[in-house]
Amino acid sequence: MKQQYTYPFTAIVGQEQMKLALVLNIINPTLSGVLIRGEKGTAKSTAVRALADILPEIDVISAVPFNLAPDEDPEVIRECFAVSGGTLPLETTPAVEKYKVKVVELPVGATEDRVVGTLDLEHALKAGEKRIEPGLLALAHRGILYVDEVNLLDDHVVDVLLDSAAMGVNTIEREGVSFAHPSRFTLVGTMNPEEGELRPQLLDRFGLCVHIEGITDPNERVEVMERRFAFEEYPEAFCQRWSEESERLVERIKKATELYPSVSVSRESLMAIANYCLEVGVDGHRGDIIIMKTAKTIAAYEGRKAVEQGDIDTAAMLALPHRIRRQPLQDIVMDVSSVLKSRAFERVSG
Amino acid sequence: MLSKLYPFSAVIGQEELKHALLLNAVNPRIGGVVIRGEKGTAKSTTVRALGELLPPADESANEGEKRPGVITLPLNATEDMVAGGIDFHCTVRDGYRVFQPGILARADKRVLYIDEVNLLDDHIVDLVLDAAASGENRVEREGISFCHPASFVLVGTMNPEEGEIRPQLLDRFGFCVEVSAEHDAEKRVEMMLCRESFDENREAFIASYGKENERIAGKILAARRMLPNVRMTSHLRGFISELCRSSNVAGHRADLVIEQAARTNAAFRGSSVVEVDDITAVASLALAHRRRDPVPPPPEPLQSQERQNRDEQPEQDRGNKEQEQAGPDEEEDNGGQDFPDGRSGPEERPSENRAEEERQKAPEQSGDSDDADEAALPEQVFEIAAPFKVRPISSPKDRAMRRGSGRRSRSRVLQKQGRYTKSTMKRRNNDIALDATLRAAAPFQQHRENLNGMAVILHDQDIREKIREKRLGNLLIFVVDASGSMGAKGRMAASKGAVMSLLIDAYQKRDKLAMVSFRKDSATVNLPVTSSVELAAKLLREMPVGGRTPFFAGLLKGYEIARNHLLKEPDARPMIIIVTDGKANKALGGRKPLDEVFDLSLKIAGEERIRFLVVDTEEPGLVNFGLARKIAGMLQAEYFKIDDLQADTLLKIVKNTTS
Repeated sequence: MKQQYTYPFTAIVGQEQMKLALVLNIINPTLSGVLIRGEKGTAKSTAVRALADILPEIDVISAVPFNLAPDEDPEVIRECFAVSGGTLPLETTPAVEKYKVKVVELPVGATEDRVVGTLDLEHALKAGEKRIEPGLLALAHRGILYVDEVNLLDDHVVDVLLDSAAMGVNTIEREGVSFAHPSRFTLVGTMNPEEGELRPQLLDRFGLCVHIEGITDPNERVEVMERRFAFEEYPEAFCQRWSEESERLVERIKKATELYPSVSVSRESLMAIANYCLEVGVDGHRGDIIIMKTAKTIAAYEGRKAVEQGDIDTAAMLALPHRIRRQPLQDIVMDVSSVLKSRAFERVSG
Repeated sequence: MLSKLYPFSAVIGQEELKHALLLNAVNPRIGGVVIRGEKGTAKSTTVRALGELLPPADESANEGEKRPGVITLPLNATEDMVAGGIDFHCTVRDGYRVFQPGILARADKRVLYIDEVNLLDDHIVDLVLDAAASGENRVEREGISFCHPASFVLVGTMNPEEGEIRPQLLDRFGFCVEVSAEHDAEKRVEMMLCRESFDENREAFIASYGKENERIAGKILAARRMLPNVRMTSHLRGFISELCRSSNVAGHRADLVIEQAARTNAAFRGSSVVEVDDITAVASLALAHRRRDPVPPPPEPLQSQERQNRDEQPEQDRGNKEQEQAGPDEEEDNGGQDFPDGRSGPEERPSENRAEEERQKAPEQSGDSDDADEAALPEQVFEIAAPFKVRPISSPKDRAMRRGSGRRSRSRVLQKQGRYTKSTMKRRNNDIALDATLRAAAPFQQHRENLNGMAVILHDQDIREKIREKRLGNLLIFVVDASGSMGAKGRMAASKGAVMSLLIDAYQKRDKLAMVSFRKDSATVNLPVTSSVELAAKLLREMPVGGRTPFFAGLLKGYEIARNHLLKEPDARPMIIIVTDGKANKALGGRKPLDEVFDLSLKIAGEERIRFLVVDTEEPGLVNFGLARKIAGMLQAEYFKIDDLQADTLLKIVKNTTS
């Protein structure tokens, strides 16, 4: 088989915020995703595809195509076996294999049945039995669901995404089947804001939001060109050259994942987060929760066990841009700290 | 249950919501709850958590205990999934039609939960409403006739940002709760801590709230037993009806809901006698979405004047028509008085002269014929007046197949996309409706000859294809008058407010947009066809006003955009929305500006695929020209005054005329 090389994640020049947001999501999947907003040609897609390289391995029940974890509810596992045409005898544990976490791409033109899953037509005709053909949501369980140009996604597909993102469960209710399987994924979307905004409900499902622009430093731009050229010319050698760095990152992510549960946040810090959100005016409570989680993840990534003020500031920059309350149809705030300053100014002056 | 749910008793705050849900859990006859609120306020979490507290549907059945108490109706459900259809597995085996129950059957005696209820498709809504109202689901399709009980507590959540819910559906919900984010920092901290410990170890967290959950579940069960014994005195019933009357609710549902809810509240307290407090505790929940403004509006001078004007309007219209029929000369005269300046070229005149003249005119005509000083006025950028909810505007549904996506007009689509609504025997694009095909073939399986080892033998006549339907966005072309005459008396602010409202509506319907503005000597395409409503809103904010009114150029430009779009998509239904006071005073050719516009209007009205909508910004004053109305007539356009565009105003007008 011809080896496919992807551009190494660590070789991407600049775009530190985006890289940080993606790495944080690998460490802590409950951050529920990143929305990357920016113009064309700013390494958005490259970065997401490159993630495949640095993703950790997980235990997966290999017999059924639902990416189930071995410690999933036994009843769920049995049901998944049943709709895949097999049976799992009682009191047996299914075979487990190690797989890398997957990046599943959801193309903009995808139809609903490919996303949700549908009845296996061939099997239904041949054997007269209902069997499920799992969709992208099953494939993306415990992995990353990547939607390029997420703002162009068709409305009814968005509805489906929202349903399963909210519940962590995908329900197939069609063609005379009714079946639900777990589907918890990290949603990564890229978009160009010039082509229209996201629906507010979907926007809120992204834990973090980063805004990226083309690099303005000429030296760095040259660097971008050189690396790209080197990669296209000798992909193997190029990947080799960056493999050490990639491994370091993988190791760091692994350490951070282990450290995360023992990271603590002081009550004062939590108060600071709550006040921060109240001050800038944020819709709902998801902002608070995401900031806390992000701050903890950053601390773990830095190898610390306690959250510092700096972590909270960085976390707010990532978690709030798309959550700050705005006038209808106003643009999304790009700089969170400026909002805070202007609100503070309003309070002083008025 | 698939995933372990966040426990009900661990939801912090949202007391009103929890109260409403618990009352419904005790007594389903209250009629459900609709929860409105911004995103991320624990709406769905609370509803899903309620399922754990419900006592088993049938206390004798053990199997019932296992089933979750909350059945979710996904947005992508099809009609046969909701109502039920043929079970092809059994049908093939047995050779006769076997009914397979749908979501409504499963929801019997449980909670039926619809997330984003405002986005649910209309035909599904109708099914659910039907069942909710009658307490049973009657299936008449694909040769099955079946009826089963379906009495459930209907709970819906919605985010009003995504558009409103149909009033008819709204009224079906017994309670309406508005939720918002917590303002107390302490509580927000509490929330973060709870959420984090839940994510860290679900089992332990759920276990730690198990006792509290059990206590609530026990309370629900006790209240259910108590309920039939709860008494209410008749003077309290009188109090309820007085409450409803003073809130001007429509119909009697509110009275009934409050009565049920008050009794439930008493039972929940453990008392068998309803007290006044029980009623006041539930009244706001039942009245929130039913309350209407009292019929005589508060006697503000401005509003009453407006009303007078509106009352006068029909008369004026009649007058206008008479004028049109009786004396076109008179009309000409009118125009002649006001528009010659524009034609004779104001550039030649010294501007002070005109300004002086204007000053003389102003007191008599109260700014209604200020086109003369348009050029003299400096360019201004006006604020946007507060946006409002616009009345529904959509293309009528027809049988033509289209492509695209959006939310405005319902249309059948040829793509293999959209909601599968029904099946047909007509063959078109090989979009095979497998379920319908199998169901059609199922009854004959036992008698068909099996030639190739297939389990199901399909004949050509069994094949069914899907008819899909989806809402499509229209192309809305805004043609906005930005001339000086619009600058007078905050009219531009009002117009911008109206356009903004239409834009918000356009966002919710996922329309495509284009914007043309005309002022000074020409019309400019501010925004070529795009789906970025934000961009349009930004341009609108910055749109300057000043100069004369080259209406002809603007109209032509708008028409060109529509026509080009039609070349690309012949089945599209573009809509041109013209915001103007109709006072053209800058011609393109050598003729009278108004005549040019009239000619063009008559011509382009012949294109039946383009729909027009004229928003008249002319202020009702001493002298009304009704030019926009006249042009609207020629374009065969829908015509609104700015005020009529508001959804509630229209409702009020209708109500006033019918009562």
